[in-house]
Amino acid sequence: MFFKKYGDIVVGVFFMTLSAALMFMAQQLPKSKVMDIGPEFMPMVIGVITFALAALLTFLSVKNMKMRSKELAGAKPDDCDYKRVLLSAILVLIYVFILQPIGFIVTTLVYLPLQMLVLSPDDQRGKKQIIQLLIIDVIFTMVVFFLFRYGFKIVLPAGIFTINL
Amino acid sequence: MQALGLLGNAFVSVCQPASLLLMIAGVAVGIIFGSIPGLSASMAVALFLPLTFSMTPSMGMNTLVAVYIGGISGGLISAILLNMPGTASSIATTFDGHPMAKNGEAMKALGLGIVFSAMGSIFSFIILTFCAPSLADIALKFTPAENFGICFFALTMVAILASGNMVKGLLAGMLGLMFTQIGMAPIDGTPRFTFGASDLMAGFDTLPTLIGIFAISDILVTAESMGSGKLETIPIKKVKGFGFSMKEFVYHLPNFFRSALIGTGIGILPGIGGSTSGMLAYVTAKNMSKKSDEFGKGCPDGIVATESANNATIGGAMIPLLVLGIPGDGVTAMMLGGFLIHGLSAGPLLFVKNSDVVYGIFAACIICALIMLVVEWTCIKGFVQVLKVPKHILLPLILVLCCVGAFATNNRIFDVQSILLFGIVGYLYHKFSLPTTPFVLCFLIGGMLETYLRRGIMQYKSFGAFFARPIFDVFFFVAVAVLVWSVFKEYKAYLVKKKGA
Repeated sequence: MFFKKYGDIVVGVFFMTLSAALMFMAQQLPKSKVMDIGPEFMPMVIGVITFALAALLTFLSVKNMKMRSKELAGAKPDDCDYKRVLLSAILVLIYVFILQPIGFIVTTLVYLPLQMLVLSPDDQRGKKQIIQLLIIDVIFTMVVFFLFRYGFKIVLPAGIFTINL
Repeated sequence: MQALGLLGNAFVSVCQPASLLLMIAGVAVGIIFGSIPGLSASMAVALFLPLTFSMTPSMGMNTLVAVYIGGISGGLISAILLNMPGTASSIATTFDGHPMAKNGEAMKALGLGIVFSAMGSIFSFIILTFCAPSLADIALKFTPAENFGICFFALTMVAILASGNMVKGLLAGMLGLMFTQIGMAPIDGTPRFTFGASDLMAGFDTLPTLIGIFAISDILVTAESMGSGKLETIPIKKVKGFGFSMKEFVYHLPNFFRSALIGTGIGILPGIGGSTSGMLAYVTAKNMSKKSDEFGKGCPDGIVATESANNATIGGAMIPLLVLGIPGDGVTAMMLGGFLIHGLSAGPLLFVKNSDVVYGIFAACIICALIMLVVEWTCIKGFVQVLKVPKHILLPLILVLCCVGAFATNNRIFDVQSILLFGIVGYLYHKFSLPTTPFVLCFLIGGMLETYLRRGIMQYKSFGAFFARPIFDVFFFVAVAVLVWSVFKEYKAYLVKKKGA
């Protein structure tokens, strides 16, 4: 509900701030000594256009607020499972940051079943399903690792444990 | 007519069993590389290059061509089924391909994609065979000024893409442009907006960005609805043949010819590439279509446009490569290496000295396109089985593949981390109902736009001098006209809506 009603204003204000910051930082860049436009030219152009558009969007959405809320009056509140979204995002975050130090095999073996569990519907979290997930996990990780290592000749991050054949 | 005779001879020599087998293997490997994000056609060609040492020049080149064609076309499979573009060329295929797959029309989407990929390739190869030398002259007329014109033209297409809610669409695109500003500036290499981080110096790579914005955000969006307790899989409608009727085929033909021409045209210009040509063809098709509202929701026209264009780019890219010895992108640069290894020098003399090899390549191109059609079509039933895997199992597997793919692009862990950033950007775009298409288009073109602008100004001293070049003028003024017209249409629609309320 919040996104539908105030989303445009949030977007507008966000882009105004962002473009202001962009223009400010572009000003700090060194000017080119040899030609008219230096590295600061494009960021300035982008900043100015974005600021104008964002201001227009904010203005329009504030102005049409009444029209918008009338449209939304009959709409159902959306039901979103933010717990799953947040958990997934955190899992991915941890995964991409420990991939290098810990290594592909261990990280993926741990990450995959956890992520699958987070995503699986509540009635799919029995013992049988978990064993199934673990089997898929091990097979998939190994296949990907060996396929990249020997098929495509790409060595994935080794970390603390790897297989050398 | 001499060309026809030479081509005929070449067909006979290419169709020997050994060479055919090598080409089939090449296409198959290319398709695998193409369909896995992060493994690009250029990587596949690089891996195959040493294998061709021991072959005759013409057989070796034919194998490389096979890998190239397979690699470009393979991207459509993962784009349609998994919403993750396997190669940068197939970005626009995801826009309509994945929605079609979600509606149960995965087979039809794949069928259309495969057929029109093959046709797009063949179309461009025919042009390559008969007009290569004269078209190469045009490519030489393109200086940075003209290239800037094309990029500017492509950028104004965002306005069309965003029609309906233009201000938000344009803003969505501006963020894409901002991301291209991070890293070293073109020409002078000044670090911009890097906040002292050395990883940011090289900027964000295209493929990880695209993977993030499509595949990762898809996972987060799906996570929202997984609590409903249903085991979700995507239905697959069974189809006969390629999944579309003769009538539909004929209906798509004008779209096909337009897109294939755009693809070949962009391909000829070095440095612009398949991803841009696919996007341009997609937007043009959307603009020309009577049912432009359906684009992005699973409209077959979108797939036809992109797939014809990105495959037609192959033939286009071969023109400057063969005629002038100028490689337009990574893959053709690898091919140039292949020429050198076999003691051939690409360039004007190649046609005179080694016409058998040149026409052998032409013939191999056409045959490879057909091989690709057959190989992909035989495997199509196997591909769609992927959709039968329940989402909560499939999506994590895709994510791992994405991470590995992002890593493989540059062997940088930073690229893997950036897919999460772009995944979150994509998710927020979804939440605030901002369209991702403008973001992608701007991200692709932004860097080129600035590079060509600054290179052009360096060459011609001022922006005003650009206007002395007729080709630039055409692109520039058409772009401005498109922009003005779209804004006008948008304003009228806004007034009507306001009156209604």
